[in-house]
Amino acid sequence: MKNPFEEFRGQSTRSKGKELPLDRILKAKEETLNQILKGYENLLKNEAKDLVWLMQYSTVIKAYSIAEEAIKGINYAAEDIEEFCYVLDKTDQVPYLITGPAGVYISALCNHAEEDEIVLRLQDVGIKINLLGYRLPEGKRLVIEGNVGDFTGISLEGGELIIEGSAKNYTGAGMKKGRIIVKQNVGFNTGHGMTGGEILVGGRIKGLGKVVGGKIYEKGQLIFPSDDYRPFYF
Amino acid sequence: MFEEFLKRIWPKVRRNHLFPQISSPQLVESEEEVALEIKSKQMTINVNFLQSLTEKMTPEDALQALLDHGISHYMYCPWDFNTHLMLYSEAKKVLKDKRLAQKAASYFMDVVANTYCVKERETKIPELYRHLPKEGVQRILALLYQVIWGIDLGAQGEEESIKRLSRIPYLEKRLWKESIKKFAKTLEEFLQKEMENEQKSSKKAQNPLGEHSIENYTLEEIDKGLREFASSVDDITEFRETVEDLKDELAAMGYTTGGMGRGAGNPIDADLLYYMKLAENYTLPIKKLPMEKSGVLHPHSHSPWEIGKPVQDIDPWTSFGKIMPGLTQMWIRREGEVFGEMEKIPDCLIIIDSSGSMTNPRERLSYAVLGAACACNAYLKNSKRVAVYNFSDAFRGNKLILDFCKEKESIYWAICRYFGGGTAIDLNDVTYLLKQSEKPDIFIITDMQITNLEKLIDFFNSIENRVTAVHIGENIYAARFREGLKQKNNVSLFLVKDKEDIPKIVLGKVREYFSSSF
Repeated sequence: MKNPFEEFRGQSTRSKGKELPLDRILKAKEETLNQILKGYENLLKNEAKDLVWLMQYSTVIKAYSIAEEAIKGINYAAEDIEEFCYVLDKTDQVPYLITGPAGVYISALCNHAEEDEIVLRLQDVGIKINLLGYRLPEGKRLVIEGNVGDFTGISLEGGELIIEGSAKNYTGAGMKKGRIIVKQNVGFNTGHGMTGGEILVGGRIKGLGKVVGGKIYEKGQLIFPSDDYRPFYF
Repeated sequence: MFEEFLKRIWPKVRRNHLFPQISSPQLVESEEEVALEIKSKQMTINVNFLQSLTEKMTPEDALQALLDHGISHYMYCPWDFNTHLMLYSEAKKVLKDKRLAQKAASYFMDVVANTYCVKERETKIPELYRHLPKEGVQRILALLYQVIWGIDLGAQGEEESIKRLSRIPYLEKRLWKESIKKFAKTLEEFLQKEMENEQKSSKKAQNPLGEHSIENYTLEEIDKGLREFASSVDDITEFRETVEDLKDELAAMGYTTGGMGRGAGNPIDADLLYYMKLAENYTLPIKKLPMEKSGVLHPHSHSPWEIGKPVQDIDPWTSFGKIMPGLTQMWIRREGEVFGEMEKIPDCLIIIDSSGSMTNPRERLSYAVLGAACACNAYLKNSKRVAVYNFSDAFRGNKLILDFCKEKESIYWAICRYFGGGTAIDLNDVTYLLKQSEKPDIFIITDMQITNLEKLIDFFNSIENRVTAVHIGENIYAARFREGLKQKNNVSLFLVKDKEDIPKIVLGKVREYFSSSF
């Protein structure tokens, strides 16, 4: 009897195919992401053991130094930081959703990235990450497409932070120098304790904090320092 | 010349792709700058384009590459119309423009199909791309291919976006939803430039390997794709937006809200189509006709004849012409079975509450409407008629009465109508409709917060029609309804805690109806 599958002789149906550079790129991407996640888990173990993270000056500084330590030796690119943000958004692990340490960790990643300009496309990220752009150093430019949470660009150290969407409260708090551009709106206590630099808001500012120095613009108009808002002396 | 090449190469290409069920490609002469077109699974290759390629590569290789490309679309991406719609819909979410989204989805499908082919099969696709024009988006894609295939295609320059594009897992089907978004966002700038150039020159930028449009599919594939897409989307707005975008193309192909067909139909109502397609996912089996004893005996099998048994049952043919006990064979007769009378299925009156407390079916998925749609389909499939009484505050005119009919589109339109006011049912209307058919079934979906609920209970107590009542959540009105009708065997009340259970329960009950004797 004739073999009905004769024509298929020699055809492998379960071949994995050739290995393409794409496979290697994706494998390397996955490995880097795993390293980044491991570093973040270390930070959470230290800083958010009880699933609570209090936003205080000292806790932020401590978390940042742990984050800096955790990312040492990881060879990552700006795109890996973006992937990490999406992992945070998709995860169902509760500690991952504490956006404070996440923001500090992402800031550390951005501040120590090889690229001078980093673009994070976070439009589709559901959560609003806090503390993005923390301590962004001089010479760095961080562009975030999408909306961000509280404490964006705090303690900015000369970098340029551009938010394509809106930011929440305490934007630019304690910033020393540099520039923050928010294309849409910002919340209350904007520029609280800032001593230098500029904040330019394309939309509306709900309220200013106790601003010490620097300049704040709303829709192109200088609103600090002005007759309505004078420098505050702590 | 090309005819000969095609005859020789086509079997080889088919073998290379494990014999896909696709008809032989055709060769045509066209002035368009497109090498390949696929319409309703029929691949058409432009001889003129092929001719221009033969200056750079052998005609066999060019043909093989084009066929590989076409088959990869058929075998891998988009594979079906549902995937096509999904890719378009996700791209549209990012790009917010129909034409841009179409372009992004089309290029994404090309990248996936080509990469699949390069990885899994022996193909000349890279060579083909080496000789295709590299301008605008085509240059970006060629640069991308160079990176992800590791083959020099002669594309020059560096682009920051390639880094992003090369990190997309093109061959991971389960991630295509996310991947197309990243792909579209990264290509947005280039797609916009391509669009601007098109507008300036009034000439459409052609994808040399053909555009991916609705024309690639048959009407049956479109119907199936829409059905699958309706059940895969998150909400009705996503379905509506996608279908509205493709409305003209669908109409041009002869697809209307009522489904496939020829001739001018009504313009597509995306909301109606959504419920139609979604409800089609919950089809009911039609009960087989019961077998009955016919009362007539017929020869069935043989047994040895013995003295005392009737001689008229002897079968001379198997008895060798002899009458001898033990040797002679006689027929054993059995009663035959025939089809009995068909079970009777009545018409159905659907009473649907569209008051303010019910979900607006055109804003969000209404499980009440879906349930009614499923029931409607079940009756129509049994060639029965359906009437609709859609009410809100019926005494203020917020009601819609549709007489018994078999027009699916009209019935769906009546079911989907939303008034959004108070809730009062005019029983005179219901009585009128019940008189239009012989003892029809009644199917009522409401939240039971009806101001004249007592009258409705009395009414149902006074009739013998079978009533299926579905309500959402437990409340005192539902409890009162249950209490008021607990003596009636012909009324079934469903308490639905989870809205998603409505279609299942409704269908289960209707199935029960159809399988019980009437």
